[in-house]
Amino acid sequence: MGGHPVNQVKLEIRDLRVSFAGHPVASVPELTVDAGEIVGLAGESGSGKSMTILAVLGLAGTAGATVTGSVRLDGQELIGLSAARLRAIRGRRIAAIFQSPALAFNPVFRVGAIVSRALRQHGLSAAEARERADAAMRSVLLTPELLHRYPAQLSGGQLQRVAIALALALRAEVLLADEPTSALDVTVQAEVLELLRELRDSRGMAILFVSHDLAVIAELCDRVAIMRAGRVVEQGPTGQVIAAPRHDYTRELLAAVPRLES
Amino acid sequence: MADGILLDVRDLRVSFGPVRAVDGVSMAISRGPFGIALVGESGSGKTTVGRAILRLVPVSGGTIAFDGQDVLGLRGPRLRAYRRAAQIVFQDADNSLDPRMRVGATIGEVLIAHGLAGRGAVGGRVAAQVAALLSEAALDPALASRYPHQLSGGQRQRVAIARALAVSPRLLILDEPTSALDVTAQARILALVRRLRDERALAYLLITHNLAIIPGLCEQTVVLYLGRVAESGPTGELLARPAHPYTLALRSAVPEVEAAARRTRIILPGDTPHAASPPPGCPFHPRCPLAIEICRTTVPPLQTVAPARQASCHRAAEVLSGLRPPGAPAQLAEDPGHAN
Repeated sequence: MGGHPVNQVKLEIRDLRVSFAGHPVASVPELTVDAGEIVGLAGESGSGKSMTILAVLGLAGTAGATVTGSVRLDGQELIGLSAARLRAIRGRRIAAIFQSPALAFNPVFRVGAIVSRALRQHGLSAAEARERADAAMRSVLLTPELLHRYPAQLSGGQLQRVAIALALALRAEVLLADEPTSALDVTVQAEVLELLRELRDSRGMAILFVSHDLAVIAELCDRVAIMRAGRVVEQGPTGQVIAAPRHDYTRELLAAVPRLES
Repeated sequence: MADGILLDVRDLRVSFGPVRAVDGVSMAISRGPFGIALVGESGSGKTTVGRAILRLVPVSGGTIAFDGQDVLGLRGPRLRAYRRAAQIVFQDADNSLDPRMRVGATIGEVLIAHGLAGRGAVGGRVAAQVAALLSEAALDPALASRYPHQLSGGQRQRVAIARALAVSPRLLILDEPTSALDVTAQARILALVRRLRDERALAYLLITHNLAIIPGLCEQTVVLYLGRVAESGPTGELLARPAHPYTLALRSAVPEVEAAARRTRIILPGDTPHAASPPPGCPFHPRCPLAIEICRTTVPPLQTVAPARQASCHRAAEVLSGLRPPGAPAQLAEDPGHAN
């Protein structure tokens, strides 16, 4: 492929369909995330949000799903890429964080060993890996000392920060965040949301943020797509969707948000 | 008004070895319909308080009275009777329901174990009672033949509630009943609690880290920090006008849909310290944006700061009258090691 066409968005999803044995579970006609932007994907459990994320990562196939359509990173098509080429992109250019950071870290290795292994897999030397890991830990406001601990010795919020630090150390351009704060206390959630904003604003990261909580989406995301039963029912600038929802389901999600003043 | 009190907890202490998980907590739960919230982050001791009330963990000090009766001295049949009167619903119904038992058997077992199953009938009569309980929890009685994994998270939590109701409890401990659920399922569970509260005149202790789910459900709120009461009082006043900086921070952490409702976020640096090595002075001072010299050296006692309101903060009076941390805008907390 030639050089980068101008005005290419960072991540572009078109006509993406994920199905199991012919049963569609997620269908996204169009969704883009540009550099320096956080886009929300909202919906209940089972609405197809996580399958969309897995499809973008090229991992839906490992769950037995069939994926058609297009996912482009800087204009380069990812659907249909060989496993080897995908591996070079996944983690390196497109990083992901998940709901349960405890499950994302192998409990028998020290956190630092897990991080440096990922960095070395993407071609860094041992010394480079150490240096980058330390710097990334500091940018998520954690002391590099924590790298010597085991995952069970860190809190959920700390582990989620380490997962974000790993994405930073790899200089990822796109971050897929699948309910990254749903298992955290609201106070820790507030910190992680702050960190994601910082990644968007100062590093120009493109972030696709999945959540069931429209209040979190409202606080964080520039644009939002609402998913229900595998389909996008509404999308647009977050403020607009929240202030004037066009779909009943969006109204339902809004009504479910608990409010301090009531 | 001692007559109106169902459960009276005084100076409760629970230690695990050297760790003081609960360090002198007092609260009173009125007869139902009545809701009290126990709020705090992970590690605050809120779950331990709930378990201590049910005698699921050993208590090292203080008293618990249920209907005037000393709970800590109960044994044999009287302890059994107490455990019928006070039930618990756990956070994670995945783990609190037996995956190998059908829903109907899970609930029926409770009825039979407590001798509440219709006389001489193990078949039809129990099934009818189970069906009634499932309907009460807004579930289709046909779900009795399903296994837990065939249900959604919200449905499983309803089954756990139906099981707790099987013994007609007077007190329900709800330990983070919705934090594993999405907001839509959460809203339905909270609506169910609200309905049961009135229909069954239930009293409940709602344990949560999210202040936003309390209004409309709980008359009273107790905020815990590191095993101690930071603040307590009537929910409406406490949320509208906190007396403790920790409550301010918890309130500011609630995500809001409407931009107008958003408060300046108070980011608390670091995690809750471990109860094994609490800091000197006020346990909250290392993270407190309003800490002054005395906070580093002297533990603030829990004091009455307004009618029916108590707080353990040296600056409670100032906070009550509007003292706020210097504007902490949308920005990461300062960190000396920050390399950028």
